[in-house]
Amino acid sequence: MRISESLRTGTLEIFHHKMRSFLTFFAISIGVISIMYSLTMIYSMNFRTKKALEVVGYGRMQVQTKQSYQETTTMDKKEARDNLSLEDAQALHTNFPELPMVSPLMFSGGEFTYGDFHDWNRVAGITTEWKKRGWVYKVRGRFLNQHDIDTYARVCVIIQNGGWFKKPQWMKFYGWKDDFQEYIKHHDLLGRTVKLGDNLYTVVGILEEPPLEKNPKTFLDLEGWEAKILIPITTLQRLMGGSWGWAEPGSIESIQIDTGRAVTVPVYRRRIEKLLQARHGGRLRLDVKDFGEIIKTKMADKHRDMYTVLIIGAIAILAGGIGIMNVTLATIYSRIKEIGIRRAIGATRGDIMAQFIIEAMLLGFFGGIAGILISMTGIQYLAANGDTDMMMVQWWMPLVSVVAAVLTGFIASLYPAYQASKLDPVEALRYE
Amino acid sequence: MIKCENLQKTYPLKKLHGYQALKGLDLSIEAGEFAAITGPSGCGKSTLLNIIGFLDNPSAGHYLFRGRNVSSFSDSERSGLRLSEVGFIFQSFNLLPRFTALDNVRLPMLYLGEGSAETEERALALLARVGLKGKETHTPLELSGGERQRVGVARALANNPKLLLADEPTGNLDSGTGIEVMQLLTQLNREGLTVIMVTHDMNLAGKASRIIRMKDGAIES
Ligand SMILES: Nc1ncnc2c1ncn2[C@@H]1O[C@H](COP(=O)(O)OP(=O)(O)O)[C@@H](O)[C@H]1O
Ligand SMILES: [Mg+2]
Repeated sequence: MRISESLRTGTLEIFHHKMRSFLTFFAISIGVISIMYSLTMIYSMNFRTKKALEVVGYGRMQVQTKQSYQETTTMDKKEARDNLSLEDAQALHTNFPELPMVSPLMFSGGEFTYGDFHDWNRVAGITTEWKKRGWVYKVRGRFLNQHDIDTYARVCVIIQNGGWFKKPQWMKFYGWKDDFQEYIKHHDLLGRTVKLGDNLYTVVGILEEPPLEKNPKTFLDLEGWEAKILIPITTLQRLMGGSWGWAEPGSIESIQIDTGRAVTVPVYRRRIEKLLQARHGGRLRLDVKDFGEIIKTKMADKHRDMYTVLIIGAIAILAGGIGIMNVTLATIYSRIKEIGIRRAIGATRGDIMAQFIIEAMLLGFFGGIAGILISMTGIQYLAANGDTDMMMVQWWMPLVSVVAAVLTGFIASLYPAYQASKLDPVEALRYE
Repeated sequence: MIKCENLQKTYPLKKLHGYQALKGLDLSIEAGEFAAITGPSGCGKSTLLNIIGFLDNPSAGHYLFRGRNVSSFSDSERSGLRLSEVGFIFQSFNLLPRFTALDNVRLPMLYLGEGSAETEERALALLARVGLKGKETHTPLELSGGERQRVGVARALANNPKLLLADEPTGNLDSGTGIEVMQLLTQLNREGLTVIMVTHDMNLAGKASRIIRMKDGAIES
């Protein structure tokens, strides 16, 4: 019997038993849906981790001081403590000149005003070191330079979002509009004087991000709410204060350090802590994180979710397999006569086995296709609603899922098909 | 063409002794014969026909088909013989209910591995030959008893067999239709096909070239 013929009669048989087939479809498609979801999640997480590390650098580390509210005991909360300062960053730089980046950071917020437009914005105080890692921008005008830092210059650089090549649907009617980004898109502020908090600044540069599809940061989700206005850290210290509008004079919030390679992180971690504590007489409450750890903890939740889904998927596929087995066994009992007829006109045991296996594989295939249709719709929907994990779906994932479904059909039907092939032709013919 | 020597068939039963349906039967049939097997119900006619048609194995004795000893053949070898050497016609037609007449006739050709274009052409010709032109796409449910049996005959002829076996082919038909089917079989026999037919109807048996009378698992005459 040619394969095309077996496929044709198999399909007829499936369509003839709609209800029976539907139940099997159902289980199989749930299995396929969760396989699709898990595959996408696994892929997305690996991709993100890799990209994140590529952008921030494998040897990246972040030094912060613990704030008193982060302490657990009242004694610790009340204890006097030192803060990181710009001088600390400078000391790190002089003591470890081989470090590719020692970038002190400080954040604040303030009302941005230009003409009639005003909007509250987050502001980052930076040094020239800022541009050493994760640089994805195109500069118009210029970036901040050492002179700006040294002279407490009232200048700023504005980051302009890249926008989408192809805007996801959710952006069109559901997404919130970033007023500031909308404004700077339509008004070129380069060289203009703007008001930030109580002071006037000159916009010396615009940093244009690449389109969001091409921007690794789109998928990072690591830096949180990024400040889009950058000013010299010295100016920020003098004129704006910290994130809460107030900060210890001379203090900074964190120092971003790049040790160059992943293996060097632990070594520098110890050296840097030692140097900083020496400078502060042990009064620092240091909180040092390397980015590998940060990424890992970020991904831990997703890992757990994914495994849950994967287990559900495995169970669903298993249930589908048992369903196929049941259906095939039931079909055999209701088709003993047919088996007898086929054997009488010359079908071999192999022919009978092949017939039932092909039917079950078809059942798996159709269930798989149904699952693919449902899950692709779901994934597209989630992706269109801003789920960046689901945007990572790959063309080979439906393929793998369908193969899994067909394989389930194959394995589940082996035993029933073997039973069918063993029937004695004469007895099967006499069966009513 | 067929030579049976001391053919025995014992059906295993739950009790200690099996039921012996054939008790050492000798029979030989030449190519081109039209043999009618008659005898009371339960005397072993179907059992004999099943063995002749490679559906069943004898418990003892020899069965030679065109000089080859078939009793020692494996299941797949016997399947091959059923497929291409013999055609079976049954009392209850045994057509696949969801298949059209055309697909029922094509089925043996497909098991032989032929493609769909040539099988369709040949199946159409066979259906025309048994007088079912225009009913090719009907399923068995949409056909009368006589028409169903004609489909059965066409299917039996699908792979150009040498031997046609018919187990009470008119048993479920009224006498008029029965005679028509009988005429079809005689016609096929005249064209060279060897036919062995089991029947209760002595009128029909009389039309055969030879009558074999069975009783109690053996041949009377
Ligand atoms: N599978 C079987 N198991 C046990 N006994 C059987 C079986 N098939 C047939 N028989 C018995 O063998 C005898 C011959 O049966 P069969 O060849 O069908 O007779 P008939 O001449 O009516 O066609 C009958 O008595 C029947 O009951
Ligand atoms: Mg009988």
